[in-house]
Amino acid sequence: MSKKVKFNLNSMRAGMTVALLLVTMAGCSREQKPTVKKIPANAEFSGFFKSYANLKPVAGMEGAVGYAATNAQKNLHKYIACVIDPVEVYLASDADEAKLNETARAAATEYFRAALVKSVSSAYPVVDQAGPLVLRLRAAVVGVDFGGEVAAADKDADQKKGLAYSVNIGKVRVEMELLDSETGEQIAALVDKENLGNGAEIGSTQLARNVKWAAARAAFDGWALRVRDFLNASNELSPEDADKADKSYQPYSSATVAAK
Amino acid sequence: MKSALLTAVILLVSSSGLCAAADRPGETFHAYVDTDICSRLMLGPINEARVGCSLSTAKDGDEPVLIRLQNNMVLTVNKRKMVEKLVGQFMQATGQVKVSDGTMKLSEVSPEQAKDIPAGDPARKLIDPQTYRTDAKLYEKIRHELAMMPYTSEFDFISFSLMGTDVILTGWTVRSTNRSEAQSRVKDVEGVTSIVNNIDVLPLGHFDMQIRAGARAQLAQSLSRYFWGSGSDIKIVVKNGDIILLGTVATKEDSDLAFIRCNSVPGAFHVFNLLRVRKSSGS
Repeated sequence: MSKKVKFNLNSMRAGMTVALLLVTMAGCSREQKPTVKKIPANAEFSGFFKSYANLKPVAGMEGAVGYAATNAQKNLHKYIACVIDPVEVYLASDADEAKLNETARAAATEYFRAALVKSVSSAYPVVDQAGPLVLRLRAAVVGVDFGGEVAAADKDADQKKGLAYSVNIGKVRVEMELLDSETGEQIAALVDKENLGNGAEIGSTQLARNVKWAAARAAFDGWALRVRDFLNASNELSPEDADKADKSYQPYSSATVAAK
Repeated sequence: MKSALLTAVILLVSSSGLCAAADRPGETFHAYVDTDICSRLMLGPINEARVGCSLSTAKDGDEPVLIRLQNNMVLTVNKRKMVEKLVGQFMQATGQVKVSDGTMKLSEVSPEQAKDIPAGDPARKLIDPQTYRTDAKLYEKIRHELAMMPYTSEFDFISFSLMGTDVILTGWTVRSTNRSEAQSRVKDVEGVTSIVNNIDVLPLGHFDMQIRAGARAQLAQSLSRYFWGSGSDIKIVVKNGDIILLGTVATKEDSDLAFIRCNSVPGAFHVFNLLRVRKSSGS
């Protein structure tokens, strides 16, 4: 092989590497930075959903309003998996957003997302790609405020990552919606105002491990379980459908029964 | 010094033990080489009809699986080539079995004849014709429990067989929890003494999901009367690009139409039409 050809091959390789790097960087730059929004003053809802028009009190779930589509073609029964988006945060209207520590936000939202995955995945297996028969679960923690300064004794060992102010989730509520992952159409939604976070604060970025903040973890776990309860109730068969399902179900191996 | 020597000896002994465990070939048992479809739908004895089913579905490209003869357990194997030419035959299989997900790492196979399995061997249970005294009420209780399972859709098909008081669960599901839920429900039915769980959990890859959605759209368009709010009379099992149609329809024409419709689903490799036609009340 001549030197010229070798040179051309090397320059092609270098060019491809640069192109690959550029594509990768472009991909990175497109990644959305986590956004922290505020509840509009005196608003009933945060504005996380496009529409709250369909919400009605959920039977058997105090403090919750919800919606489940009853369209024959688009309802919860028509989906078999879901993708779960990163959880968003909405600060209380009067909260001082300058006090929000990014690491604490990430710790809290990642913990809640993991709790959602755990509670939802046995109903809708979690996949990593949107597509047909796949729901998109969006959730937001709404009404986050800040407490006092975190006591020195409670601070993380790594002071750089430590929180100056505790995150107060005492008045938090959760908004969650399930969309068709292809069209964005709302299939189900839940606004849970149940005050599970009463008295719970987060004063550490090590939320998952720190015993001190167990109340906050319990609140997130509780909200995730209520999301599952809502899904279970919405998936319950109507008496008419239960009758159809019962009549329709005939195992294939019945020939082996040969009852005597 | 002594303690260092002792530690070295312990390490040597334990590492050789570990190696021996890793090299262990597993267990050897009598098996029948079946296909995925027949093994999950034609439970019971290995008779002429069963062998016919195995051979015809294998010809159509269905995946070969092993049936452990002593308890009717279906095992998906890691080395498909080792068994695909033995479909419809008996053999001795050696390897490591993972009961929790119904898989087997095969290390050796050795073809054999049914007559090679001695009389009285538990493996003959599926070879020799047997009759089971089955309680119809018990059968109905199990059937009802499985029919009422939440989170089952037209993409799941769970079947069972009752032999005396032993239950074999089979079928396919898109939710892994349905596998354990079915077992748990049947376990709680009074009178059931043992359960073998052969329910296969289907992959949820994007490709299969597109085929599922495409098949449902095709069938709902022309056979909409079989679909209702939360389910349907027609079940659409999609596995690695293949569509298996199950359930019951009213006429042979509907069955043929379902088959034709599913054959036009983009990306589907093969359609296995196992729809049953409802017997008219007059016949």
